[in-house]
Order: sequence, then C-alpha cells, then structure tokens
Amino acid sequence: MNQVVVTGLGAVTAFGAGAEPLAGALARGATRLSPVEPSRRLPRPTGGATSAVRVGDLPLGEWLAPLVARRMSPPSRWAVAAAKMALADAGLSVPDRPGEPDPATAVALATSFGPMSYTQRLLDQILDEGPEAASPSLFTECVANAPAAQVAIQCRAAGRNHTICQREAGALTALARGAADVASGRAARALAGAAEEVTPLVFAILDRFRALARPHRRSSDRVGEAGPAPGATAAAGRGGSRGAAPPAPTEAARPFDRRRDGFTVADGAAVLVLEPAAAAAARGARVLARVRAWGGAFDPTAGRAGWGTGAAGLAVELQGVLGRAGLAPDDIDLVVSGASGAVAGDRLEAAVLRRLWAGAPLPPVLVPKAVTGEYAGGFLAAAVLAAAGRPFGAAPGFARSDDALAVAPHDGSPLPPPRRLLVTSLAAGGSAAWVILEAP
Amino acid sequence: MNGAAAVTGLGAVSPFGWGAGPFADGLLAGAGAIGEFDRFDHAAYRTHVAGQVPPEPAGLAARQPCWRRLTLAERFAVAAAAEAVAGAGFGGGGTTGLAGRRAGVFFSSSTGGMLEGEEFYAALEPRRRPRLRGMVAQQVSAPGEAVARALGVTGPVETVSSACASGTLALGLALDALRGGEVDVAIAGGADVLCRITYAGFNSLRSVDERPCRPFRADRAGLSLGEGAAALVLERAEDALARGARPRALLAGAGAAADAHHMTAPHPEGDGAARAIAAALADAGVAAGEIGSLNAHGTGTPHNDLAEWRALARVFGAERARELPLAATKACVGHLLGSAGALEAAAAVVCLERGAVHPAPGGGAVDPETPAALVLGRPRPLAGAAPLLSLNLAFGGCNAALVLVPASA
Repeated sequence: MNQVVVTGLGAVTAFGAGAEPLAGALARGATRLSPVEPSRRLPRPTGGATSAVRVGDLPLGEWLAPLVARRMSPPSRWAVAAAKMALADAGLSVPDRPGEPDPATAVALATSFGPMSYTQRLLDQILDEGPEAASPSLFTECVANAPAAQVAIQCRAAGRNHTICQREAGALTALARGAADVASGRAARALAGAAEEVTPLVFAILDRFRALARPHRRSSDRVGEAGPAPGATAAAGRGGSRGAAPPAPTEAARPFDRRRDGFTVADGAAVLVLEPAAAAAARGARVLARVRAWGGAFDPTAGRAGWGTGAAGLAVELQGVLGRAGLAPDDIDLVVSGASGAVAGDRLEAAVLRRLWAGAPLPPVLVPKAVTGEYAGGFLAAAVLAAAGRPFGAAPGFARSDDALAVAPHDGSPLPPPRRLLVTSLAAGGSAAWVILEAP
Repeated sequence: MNGAAAVTGLGAVSPFGWGAGPFADGLLAGAGAIGEFDRFDHAAYRTHVAGQVPPEPAGLAARQPCWRRLTLAERFAVAAAAEAVAGAGFGGGGTTGLAGRRAGVFFSSSTGGMLEGEEFYAALEPRRRPRLRGMVAQQVSAPGEAVARALGVTGPVETVSSACASGTLALGLALDALRGGEVDVAIAGGADVLCRITYAGFNSLRSVDERPCRPFRADRAGLSLGEGAAALVLERAEDALARGARPRALLAGAGAAADAHHMTAPHPEGDGAARAIAAALADAGVAAGEIGSLNAHGTGTPHNDLAEWRALARVFGAERARELPLAATKACVGHLLGSAGALEAAAAVVCLERGAVHPAPGGGAVDPETPAALVLGRPRPLAGAAPLLSLNLAFGGCNAALVLVPASA
C-alpha cells in the first residue's frame, strides 16, 4: 500500500479564492457572514437566522473561462476552480481546457444538497409551467455528480469518479475514498474534496428546523471582521441592496459554547491533491499533510434529522479506526473537531471524544467550523492547514464553556506544530467519519 | 485476484414485486414490467410508461418500526436490505444477527426522497407552515441511513450518488471496505423512486421512449425509467465459508473510470467504459477471454448503446463481443438510475445461480451497428462457470464495472 500525502489545496470560500484567504481567517479567528435573501417559497419569519458564510460573486476567471462557467451550476464552478487551484498549489500542470484524459487521476467529491439552485429552478419550471418547460441544461447540471463530472472534464481526470452524499460526514468520506484509491495504486493521483451551494430555500429549511445559529450578543469582538463576502452582492436580494450594511455580526456559530444554538451554513468548494508519498518525493513536491488512516461509523440511535445518543458505540468504532492503524489516543496531539455549534451534535461529539480519552486530558481541540461554517469543504481545508502547522486563532463567538460537555475549543494561543491529528465529522442522521492526518 | 467477496444475501424490490423471488422469476420468464404507471400525474408529460413497483404487500409495515414515516425510497431500501440480511443467515444476537459484527452500509441513490421532496416543494406557499418532515428525507443519503438504522448497523455508512453508475460504484466501495478490513459484513445496494424531476428531465433530453425500451434493437428509441431497490450482503469469501454460509455468487472485482468528455454524451468510442471494464477485470484477476456473459447498461438510447457496444468491442474484440450472451435488465424493469447497478448486480447473481442469462422481453432485430448477442425471448443456458461482467455508464461520463463469478467456480 502506498503512503498517501496531500500536496495541493484549493479553496473557493467566503474569504476569497485559494487557501491563503481561508488560512488568514482561521489564524485571525474571524468568520465572514453575508445576508441570505428570503426564500420566495418559504419566507421568513423562520428560526431567526439571517446570514451564512457565502462565496458570493467571487471572480474566478483566472481558473475558469466565463463562457465555460456559464454552463455550470455554482457548485460545479467552485469545484472546478478549487481543483485547478489545488493542482497549481501542488506544482502540477493545470489544464486550461478539456483534452487528452489522464486515466491515473481519480476524483472523489462530496455534496450534501447538490446543485440546489438548478434543482429548484427545474422544479419551478416543471411545477409552474409544466413538464414540457423543463430545461435540459438545468437537468444535466442538477445531478449530484455534476461538480465531480465537471472536475473530471475540465481537469482531464479520467480515473474513478465518486460523488459522496453523506451530509456533514461527506467531505471526510470523500477524502478517505480518494486516499484509498491512491493507497491501493488504483490512481496515481486523486482530487478529493467537497462542494456546496446555499440557496435561500435550503437556508430557510435549515432555519425552520432551528439548526442555524441565531443572532446573539457576544462578549468577543473577533467576529467584528464579519461582512459581506467579496462581491457578494447577489446575497443582498430582497434583504437589502448593493452597499447595504452587513448584518449584525452576531450569528457566528459557537461550537462547544454553553449558549450554542446552531451552526452557520457555508457554500463554496475545497479540493485536495492526494499522491503517493514516494511520487511526491520523487518530484520534489511540498507535502502539506500525510493521510495516515480513515474510517467511519453509524449511530443507529439517531433519528432521520437529528443526532443520536450513541457516543459509546461511536467511541468504540473510533477506537477501532485508531487501532487498525496501530495508534492509540495518546498518539494524537491535536483534534480538529467537526463540532459546528449544533446543540445535540456538539454534545455527542464531546461525549465521543471524552470516551475515547477515557478520563485523560484531551489534546487541544480546534473547531474550524466556527470560521468556515458547515458544508462546502472549508472544514476539510482547515484540517489540512492545521496539519501543515498553520496557526489557528480562538474560535469566534466562543465565550462560555459548557460544563456538561467538558470539552472546550483551544483558546487561540500558539501551539507547537502537531505531529498527528484526529479529524472528526459527525453527521445529523447518524453517520460519522474520521481521518488521521500527520504533519509532513 | 485481490480477494473476492461472497454474496451471501440478496434482496430486491422491483417492478416485478417485493422480493428477490419475484424479481428472479420475472427476469427468467422474459417478462416485461414496464407499462402504465400512476406514481404521479404524468398526463402533461411527453411519454407515459415506466417500471413502477406494485403496492407493498400486507404486513410489511408491522415488521419494520416507523414504516409509515419512511419515504418510498427508504421503504424500498429497508425491505431489500432486510431480505438480504435475513437470507444471509447470520446467527448470533439481535433481530438481524448483525449485532457484534463489524457491518457497514454502502448504498446508492440518484434522487433519494425526491418524490416526497417534490410534493413538499409544490405545497410550499408563503402563508403555510409546511410539514418539514417532507423535506428531511429528500437527502440522497436517506435510504442508506434508513437501512443502517433499521438493521442496527454501527459501521460506516456511505452513499454514492454518481448518477447511473452509483449502484455499481457502491458495490465497489463495499468490496474495498471488506478487503481493507474496515468491515466484516457489507450491505451494498441502492434505491430510487420514479419522480417528476427525472421523468421531465429525461424527456427534456428526448431520451425517453414512448414504448417500453428496447436496448440494442434496431428500432430502439430511448430509455424507460423504473424504480426499486436491491441489496447484497457481502463478506470476505473466507469468512463466509468459515461460518458455513452458502455463497450465492462471488464479487471478484470492481473497476471504474471517467470519460472526462461530456456531461451527458458518452464518449463516442466508449473510452471510459472500456477502461472501467479493463480495471474490473484486472481487479478480479480475470482475463477478458474468460468472461462468459454480460449484463449490459443497455439503456436503449441510440448513442448510449452504441458507445457501450464499442467499449465491449474494444475490450473483448468485436468477434468475441458478438458471441457473449448479453442481458439487458433495463428492458424488463426500466432504468433505476442510481440503483440500476445494484439491481443489475442482483440480476447477475440470479443468472449465475440459475446458470442462464435472462432474456429481454419482446423480439425485434438487433441493430447491426450494435451487434451484441442480446438474449431475447427465453433464457440462454450458460456453459460452465464462467465469470460475468456487469457494466454501467452514467451522466458526467462515470463508468463502472463489476466481475461476478458463480459460487461453484
């Protein structure tokens, strides 16, 4: 089996194009919220949330010709741009157009909702105007695997192509599947990541479930940098207009905080380049992280929409993942937690971590979703940046520990470079995925 | 060979009925289950036939908790998986015998609970408070999660949504997970339900035949959509033998490749499909010349069948490809999209068990441009215990293939 390393990282996020804007936000501990316009089909009042970590109209012409981009759904555009950024970051050639396919490059991308704006537009056509009004171009781009297929076409990646839909656990599962392809030798390279799109309807539904963080008073001013994403005028909609004041910066999610009340939802894409360690070394590539192990589990106590209480079972499965890799909890010196601010989700996450360490002190715990938001791969990119030794500020919005959890985010003080990280993602509905990353 | 998985359980929900039995009987009888349907009002649509699953048998609701709350795709998935696990004959604890075993679910779907999602969406009005439950199960991952919840699975649950290759890819992931020691038991399959968005979408592409589809026939004019689910219980072959299970077939290898060519059109020479077949053969350690029969993707669209034929001809050689008996399961039950590969893998198991390639219903001349040895009318007996290749091609140029061998091989 090949050792697998991460040699490239591309990201399209609310913070900008590329990994560096995201790394800067993580280092500052500052999220970036933009207003989400009301849903025409499900208008407010809802749960009270108003903003999300949105990409907006980020210029991506460097990575994707406008004529090509116009034929793609937003998550496809972002995924293709992120994949090309990742290839460039890895020091590999970046195709400027489709061409001779490379059968040795696999693709594994995750999405929770797929290209929702296209799906909704197609449904509007069918339901409002009749089925004969259905647009073939909307149909072909509304399938869940459109972003992964567009990455294959635009990056000439003609190896195995997987689209993973496993809610919040999807991005880590996609990373695992890409890594498995490289480890087994089936692929010489894999592009693995996630892409997501926040539409007003998705936002409104999540808000109706009271899944999203709501406006709150806070003691920290670190979210003071919050404001509309670069060029995020499309987010204004009915909720405002170009130049309108950004929403009060008080909706940052508060993972593990006593007063957490939900997560912030994000759109965008993040893609990693995975290669065998030997191949990366042979071409003198810079290594961001090593992918040591991966695994998943399911909590059958979880309902369809919520979180379960099966921490004991999940901890046993996680112990098994570590054990099969020849590792013990003591070998982990940093946790990159998928805690998102979800009330029950964070409770379950904390319980799993506590059980894994069985009463021993936990290593520092980072909660990047306080900055990146949920979905869209920002969390995955953050985990790689953590493995690469990049600094992380304190979680924005976090103010008070929850005694019932006995887990709190790291306070932002400088940390020694980690050697080995546990990256976690529990999902509503019961799924869980874990990845062990190592410093290069 | 990298290590084969034994298929020790099989379940299906198909337009032939609920259960693997009706599915096998329908296939081998050469029956067609594509016809009029009423899953939704399709009066305003361009075409009016599909493969619809008949109403569920009495008593199912009583055997599964919260059955009434499940979407149709979840019901199909749970019924197929429960049948497969029951058939695998696990002893031990729990109602399924899975307790204490490292089991995982590797499932596929294109649309999950989209049928109910459409109804939720259509009912949305500014002044109403919709029932949010209608939207919850729209998630593509819902059928696989419902299976895990119903069976008490605690291992990984992964859902593939790579359009029409999803089911085949899910079985490939299950095989990987078994080989890698991530699980000891894999429940692999897929579920999809007829819905407006796919019916209107494929019609917008002018890809739906007004009559039941006729793959590889000269007069083929498009696909027929279908619905249903299939589930296979997979175990490492040595584990299955050690517990005294009776393998029904072996999943020997899986392969996949992308065309990287076009979002909807397959590569005209079947490039990605040919590489997927070659990868599956290599994974199984089987030479192309050893393959004894095929389960084709066979949608019935002119371009897709042609690309598939060219892929087969590239791998097997045109002469050999003309001789290999070929089953076109979609001609019997329609195109199940994200679960098509799973149901076709189930069809492959049935064919290997019965020693015969199932026929497609009806007659008609095979297209000289796609001169496959399409089995028509009555089953074609298989000589010996040769491996079978099952192939799927998908939107976005996703191609995936499986190699299955008879349990007696």
